Amino acid sequence: MTDKLNDPVAMWQKMMGEMEKGFNSFANEAMSSPEFSQAMNRAGGVAAGAQKQLGELMEKYLVAMNLASRQQVMGLAERLQSIEAQIGEMRSMLSQMAANSGISQGGAGAPRPPRTKRPPSENGERT
Amino acid sequence: MNAATGLDFASIPERIQTEVQRAIQRSIKGVEYFSTSGPTLGSTPKDVLHSRGTMSLYHYRPMSDEIYRVPVLIVMATTNRGYILDLVPGQSFIEFLLRRGYDVYMLDWSAPRPEEKSLRMEDYVLDFIPDCVRRVQADSGEQDVSVIGYCFGGVLSLLYGSIHKDGPMKNLICFTTPIDFREMKLLSNFSDRRYFDVDHLVDSVGNVPPEMILSSFEMLRPASRTVSQIQLWENIWNDEFVKSYRMFDRWATDTLPLAGEYFRTITKDLMWDNKLFNDSMSVGGRAAKLENIKVPILHAVAEHDHIVPYDAAKHLIAKIGSEDKEEVMLKGGHVSLVAGANAVKRLWPKLDSWLGKRST
Repeated sequence: MTDKLNDPVAMWQKMMGEMEKGFNSFANEAMSSPEFSQAMNRAGGVAAGAQKQLGELMEKYLVAMNLASRQQVMGLAERLQSIEAQIGEMRSMLSQMAANSGISQGGAGAPRPPRTKRPPSENGERT
Repeated sequence: MNAATGLDFASIPERIQTEVQRAIQRSIKGVEYFSTSGPTLGSTPKDVLHSRGTMSLYHYRPMSDEIYRVPVLIVMATTNRGYILDLVPGQSFIEFLLRRGYDVYMLDWSAPRPEEKSLRMEDYVLDFIPDCVRRVQADSGEQDVSVIGYCFGGVLSLLYGSIHKDGPMKNLICFTTPIDFREMKLLSNFSDRRYFDVDHLVDSVGNVPPEMILSSFEMLRPASRTVSQIQLWENIWNDEFVKSYRMFDRWATDTLPLAGEYFRTITKDLMWDNKLFNDSMSVGGRAAKLENIKVPILHAVAEHDHIVPYDAAKHLIAKIGSEDKEEVMLKGGHVSLVAGANAVKRLWPKLDSWLGKRST
């Protein structure tokens, strides 16, 4: 049997683990300073502003190209989702009706098990 | 074994042979990795009971001949998808609960659409959760409902429970739920009010992009992604390792955007003013004090949680008004506490033994 202490693969894995811990710890210390927060948020603020301007520019471009605007596509998506939700509710209602009338169809409308389960007994047996 | 060097020379040829075989397997499996998709996740049979914008309510089909009287509603964290609790058969928390006789529902989230940027904390706590609870009651025919909240789903469940103190929540289980946000040291520093202009961010982008949420989490352990990719390459010959890697990696990177107004409240009320911990939190003008919660509660925390450190979660049980309350600390991290081989052995049986006797 290979001794773990002398197994090069095990040694490599251990080294990677130690390096990961060490780097994470070092980075966490560096990131906990107010200076880091300031620098990070300055960069983030610029990126958010740029994203907003780019979005507005794209809207204008799409209008000029006579393409559907984002808002129009989102409107269509919303209507589609609303239709899907209504179909889901209708399916659920039909399943309930089928279950109430005793029609077995599997899935959502299948009869539910009785709510009579008791917790396992003290000796570990499951009921 | 050579006494002087400690090396077992007899095993070297065998070891070389193994490593050569693994190297060949790595090349073959490496190609397979990029040409195939990962395992199908979240496949436990379920029905969509209700869907409205970012919110979906699922009911999982029972898997036992009789079930406990009290149904269970799982409230997922708003940053991530619920399939972490339903990975694959044999590693699915949902499947475990179903086989143990629970009637399981899940409140899961999809990415809020741009128009949903105005969703507020009130919408989550005073509308989405109560709406789902009502639908669970109607579907199950039971008035009592047990609630399980994971991470920020736990925070939402606490807010819901503290406002709806007269029921119908019968039991509350929180997994890795922070209440003292000052103790989430790095995230707290990233959102330092002196430098983080949350109003500018939300007003600029609407919903907070998932990349920002993901990078905030990844920055907590910046070396871990690189190391995990090296580990994947080392173990790519091992199908089980690869399957597990793909499941967790897919979930971890499948982060959701957060509704802008909701994020603004989280930042100002929780990260900056720590209102939940200070008993000054309110949602829609209704006080949300943890002492109002009187139902039995179990709080499961992870020993090596880097996202919600123990210090951020440890005061929950003390601040809850219940007499029947318990905290359990288990080995593992923020995710391995609830999913994967660690959870199968530790958290799931613990939860079953705690909840079963409170579900009749």
